[in-house]
Amino acid sequence: MSIAVQSFQNVISLCRGDKRFLAGWIESAQKELVSYCMSLIVLGCGAYGFTIGLRNGLEMGAYVAIKLPLIIFITLIANGLLNGLLGLVLGSGIGFRKSVQFLLIGFAIMSVILGALSPVSFFVTLNMPSSADVAGRFAWHGASLLMHTCLIAFAGITAHTQLLHYVREFADSSRAGTHTFFAWLAGNLFVGAQISWNLRPFFVSPGLNVEFLREDPFNGNFYEAVIVALKNIF
Amino acid sequence: MKEKNQNSTRETPENISGRIPPSIGDVKSGFVSMEGGASFSNLLSKLLRKPLSIFHELETKDVLWKIPITLILISVVSLTVFGLVVGTFSWGNQIWAAPLKIVSGLMFSALICLPSLYIFTCIGGLEARFSTVVGMLCSIVALSGLLLVGFAPVVWLFSVSSTSSVFIGFMLLALWMICVGFGFNLVFCAGKAMGMTNTGHLLVWCFIFLLVTVQMTTTLRPIVGKSESLFNFEEKKFFLQYWSEELQTVTD
Repeated sequence: MSIAVQSFQNVISLCRGDKRFLAGWIESAQKELVSYCMSLIVLGCGAYGFTIGLRNGLEMGAYVAIKLPLIIFITLIANGLLNGLLGLVLGSGIGFRKSVQFLLIGFAIMSVILGALSPVSFFVTLNMPSSADVAGRFAWHGASLLMHTCLIAFAGITAHTQLLHYVREFADSSRAGTHTFFAWLAGNLFVGAQISWNLRPFFVSPGLNVEFLREDPFNGNFYEAVIVALKNIF
Repeated sequence: MKEKNQNSTRETPENISGRIPPSIGDVKSGFVSMEGGASFSNLLSKLLRKPLSIFHELETKDVLWKIPITLILISVVSLTVFGLVVGTFSWGNQIWAAPLKIVSGLMFSALICLPSLYIFTCIGGLEARFSTVVGMLCSIVALSGLLLVGFAPVVWLFSVSSTSSVFIGFMLLALWMICVGFGFNLVFCAGKAMGMTNTGHLLVWCFIFLLVTVQMTTTLRPIVGKSESLFNFEEKKFFLQYWSEELQTVTD
């Protein structure tokens, strides 16, 4: 029970932006921090992911609950080396280990926000017609996509704003901290978008099947799809 | 358990009142000690006159759950009264179904929005107990319920004068938005008085709570007007779609 209470208090300290708590945590309990943040990401993003996929049935709910945390972990692994290098090159003094810790903390805060929003998301999903209903299915698919994109973006922006404060505080200079943070952000957005493309489907477009991965997950990329979509519009 | 841990390091009210007088800012804002205990009538009075003193009590004293429970009781009583008046528009089953739907719908909405309120207030820099945040949420519902009771005679007047369920529905939605607006204002004031540094997240939460409650009226429909069935869970609709269709039916 006391471990659960301690874990809960740690979450709250993270969300409140308690810098002394974070400093102590980063310096003293490295392994604990990594496993703790990973648990938060699995729980928070998993719960929220389940409510996204639930509209297409329990099976899809379970798939998205697994895939949403996976996007974060794969992005961090793919960018781990680059993030550490950028931290050093940009003069922040934040090396490989600390860059992973900081980013895990940022994503953990985002997961806590998403986890807290998952009851609301669950209620919204229950109020949406099933994707099997033919009438207005494209409109509902679009509405679902838009709502979840907005909520995830909100959680991401809020968490990264918090992370920016942390990085500025811990970097050798505030300016170098800001540069490092935005370099990490750009790299993670660039790679994260492609990983989410590879791990599709999440929302299951009308007419397509429910499956864990598409038959051709590595065929094409996110940016090509955006260019094709823009061409279709104009 | 967390509450107990926090209590052990917290100043007791005797110590606070004995050593540190409340600041001029606190006195002006009303964030001062609550007099008269957590009884139903006293809390009802304080909710209208000195609402911030309720949060002061929640933060500094050991009456952790007594105040939120009394606030829930105030909410249930006032929303039941308001629901009964709404039910008089249709009579029949609606006389008991409308209060039941309004009370249960609002309580469920509050429950599913509680985790996000707690996390958003934490992100906004508020260092408050969980029970205080529960109290904030309960006070939104309780104050809104009390104000709705104030509007009940107006609702009754229109319900006996009008036959249009769409008009009554829109009027009730407008009244709900006005009343919950007062509740939101109270929470913003409480947040600022307790040291909240960023209220942007709270604003987003207020928007989410409003959307959830308005959607709840569509989920639990019909609350106003007669219907063969008490609930209509099979046909799922977004509230904007539902109300635009209802409006179109009337104007056609």
